[in-house]
Amino acid sequence: MAIPRPQSSQSPSSRLEGILADTDRIEELSDSDGDYEDMGTATEEEQANIAYLESVRIPIQDQLQTDSSKVQNETLQAVLPFLEGNPNDFPLNIFGIPQLQRMKHIAFLKQTLGDYPSAFAMMDASRPWLVYWSLQGMSVLGHDISEYRERVAHTFSLAQHPTGGHGGGYGQLPHLAATYAAVLSIVMVGGAEAYESINRKTMWHYLGQMKQADGGFTMADGGEEDIRGAFCALVIMSLLHIPLELPPDAPARKSGLTSFTDGLGEWISKCQSFDGGMSAAPGNEAHGAYAFCGLGCLSIIGPPKETLNKYLDMMTLIHWLSARQCSPEGGYNGRTNKLVDGCYSHWVGGCWSILEAAIDGQDIWNRSALSRYILSAAQAKKGGLIDKPGKRADAYHTCYNLAGLSAAQHKYVYEADVQTELGGGELDAPYYWKAEGLFEDERVWGSDDVVGEVHPIFVVPFKAVHECRSYFDSKEGF
Amino acid sequence: MSHEPHHPSRLRRAALPVPLSPCASRQAPASRKVKAKMPKFYNDDPAWEDIEPLPQDDGGLHPLAAIAYTDEYSEAMGYLRAVMAKNEFSERVLGLTEHIISMNPAHYTVWLYRAKTLSELHASLEDEITWLNRTALKHLKNYQIWHHRQTVIDALGSPKGEPDFIATMLEQDSKNYHVWSYRQWLVKRFGLFGDDEELQWTEEMICADVRNNSAWNHRWFLVVGGKDGQSVGEHMVKREIDYAKHAIRRAPQNQSPWNYLKGIVRQAKLPLSTLKDFALEFADIRRPDDIYSSHALDLLADIFGEEEDSKEEAKKALDLLATRFDPIRAHYWRYRKGLLEQTGSAGVVA
Ligand SMILES: [Zn+2]
Repeated sequence: MAIPRPQSSQSPSSRLEGILADTDRIEELSDSDGDYEDMGTATEEEQANIAYLESVRIPIQDQLQTDSSKVQNETLQAVLPFLEGNPNDFPLNIFGIPQLQRMKHIAFLKQTLGDYPSAFAMMDASRPWLVYWSLQGMSVLGHDISEYRERVAHTFSLAQHPTGGHGGGYGQLPHLAATYAAVLSIVMVGGAEAYESINRKTMWHYLGQMKQADGGFTMADGGEEDIRGAFCALVIMSLLHIPLELPPDAPARKSGLTSFTDGLGEWISKCQSFDGGMSAAPGNEAHGAYAFCGLGCLSIIGPPKETLNKYLDMMTLIHWLSARQCSPEGGYNGRTNKLVDGCYSHWVGGCWSILEAAIDGQDIWNRSALSRYILSAAQAKKGGLIDKPGKRADAYHTCYNLAGLSAAQHKYVYEADVQTELGGGELDAPYYWKAEGLFEDERVWGSDDVVGEVHPIFVVPFKAVHECRSYFDSKEGF
Repeated sequence: MSHEPHHPSRLRRAALPVPLSPCASRQAPASRKVKAKMPKFYNDDPAWEDIEPLPQDDGGLHPLAAIAYTDEYSEAMGYLRAVMAKNEFSERVLGLTEHIISMNPAHYTVWLYRAKTLSELHASLEDEITWLNRTALKHLKNYQIWHHRQTVIDALGSPKGEPDFIATMLEQDSKNYHVWSYRQWLVKRFGLFGDDEELQWTEEMICADVRNNSAWNHRWFLVVGGKDGQSVGEHMVKREIDYAKHAIRRAPQNQSPWNYLKGIVRQAKLPLSTLKDFALEFADIRRPDDIYSSHALDLLADIFGEEEDSKEEAKKALDLLATRFDPIRAHYWRYRKGLLEQTGSAGVVA
């Protein structure tokens, strides 16, 4: 039995826009009249989706309207048609959900790795990010990135600063975000030539300059101190096996610090806010992306079960993370009373395996709702993934939506008891993770929609992580 | 006041910009307005004739994510690399950095070098703020400009005019993370925790949009953050509890004040049961058809969980959440239920 297609609050023209090819759009719109809504009835898949959405909706809504509730309602109205139906006209999987548009996304990422016109000068300092997001996106989609190996090594040797670390490009000052993206890109393509393009000795000195007396890290010399700095620095140190001891010229030594991890756990602890979330720096508002940085950093300092329980209030943290999942959208927002956004599929979705490792818990979040949001609402018609319907695809949202999908599909577990060949060294905790097969319960993805395994802390393939650390483990000195 | 559920309004408005991630800017606009200004070049400028620009070295292979810079941008960057290489700090460097920032405001290298130049030159910081004020609105989502402002105001040693300026910025984007973080820095740097005007302003922000979580966070920062671990006075605790309760009554399904309320009670080391009667106003588990807030149920689950003989009630509240009032988090509510069974007592204060 067919039920009527639900009334969409999107205007017929904006619904059409997603369906029509670009070339037809103008003419078609000019003579479209208002009776679009009456076209036919909902398909079987649409009925199932509508029933599902009804089943996860919070049945309470306050009457008071404020800016927050208005923009939330508008967002929901823009997202719902994609969760209910299939405005992009994608082929559906066996669950009636749009299939992962793998080839389109790979083609999109090839573009984001290529040349940019002059209007993109604003990205000049973020080029390492573009490379990282594009390569990671391709990897998780199963595309071989080895063809980029030489150009990655070349691109980042130009961006490496003589005093250590990497900048956004040639002649730019070193910055921890640029260095993080550069190092991860190099780790992903791998190989001795790429690894050796990094000067680890100057890197050690540069990181020493970033370490602050209060335990945290600044992003650049004279730059802001925030939790990204702490995370990026520890990722780099662990992967490249940089000595934990502060270099002799590190300013923090004057305050009695001797190790990169001195005061770090305590500093991260101060970033936990009153509602349980994590903020950029002590006192700021809790935010999903900073939560991932905080949990990631603690999981490099030591096993999550030890470090998270030591430095964080776990019950309020879980409560806050759980509250980030938007209902009925299924995707995550970054802060209380903000809007769903595909990039938090990773920033929040990626926190769960770390958290579950810390509490020996399992399956405390809604993987299927997140997967629905990613597959139904966050895939752009022409390739690439997005924040939410109506937004443009970019490498950033493509990378982090796909990482979130990986977190939903795969089980990532921390095996403290298993001695890996990488165990025993400094900052070795991230090497005890392993992927333990696919999640089967309540799944909404078909076998063609499965993306690759992603290391839960480093957000690159497992193999790349292990090869890199082994390479530098076997090296003596710098 | 009515607590009755109702359907969302169908008002339409252009979507706000996406929340900022900690990862630098991500997307250039598809098209930028063509500037009316003539491009500025340095090679024919006598003031720069002593400088040999350092062109961008792209080596042999074609780099990834390469940008086809305009001649203007390329040349200006060539001069910047040249002055940076010889550590020049001068008036003309201020002009050059301003020029590059106008073309690429997300260029941290240029901002950092400009800050260093200001400091070396002992340049007028008031003038710098005046210039920043003119460009601030254009760069609201930009990490660098707010950090630069912080550096300058720190050196200037006075917050004068800053609160008003911030308020103007928040009129454009009331939850901007950088602006709020900057405000928190300002409060800390200049000891404004006890400032009545600051609290008053925060109250106005919450009043304007009771769901603005950034404003609630700032209130917490003023009330508790300034105490540096010391306990908040009894009078203040009562005031904050009343304030949060009042806000909840305006919109019971708004999580911000519930989090605030629980936070204050925890901070004051009061038993959660202090809030029992209040929570029951919104969620009586014996009458599931009259529940007006899932957050009240959530809190009640904790309160019942802490009581001696109310474990069944706690489970009932969690079941109601999982099956009816907040089903998307069903797994989480069941996890909480599992903890109740495990420990015999709650220990779950969320
Ligand atoms: Zn986003």
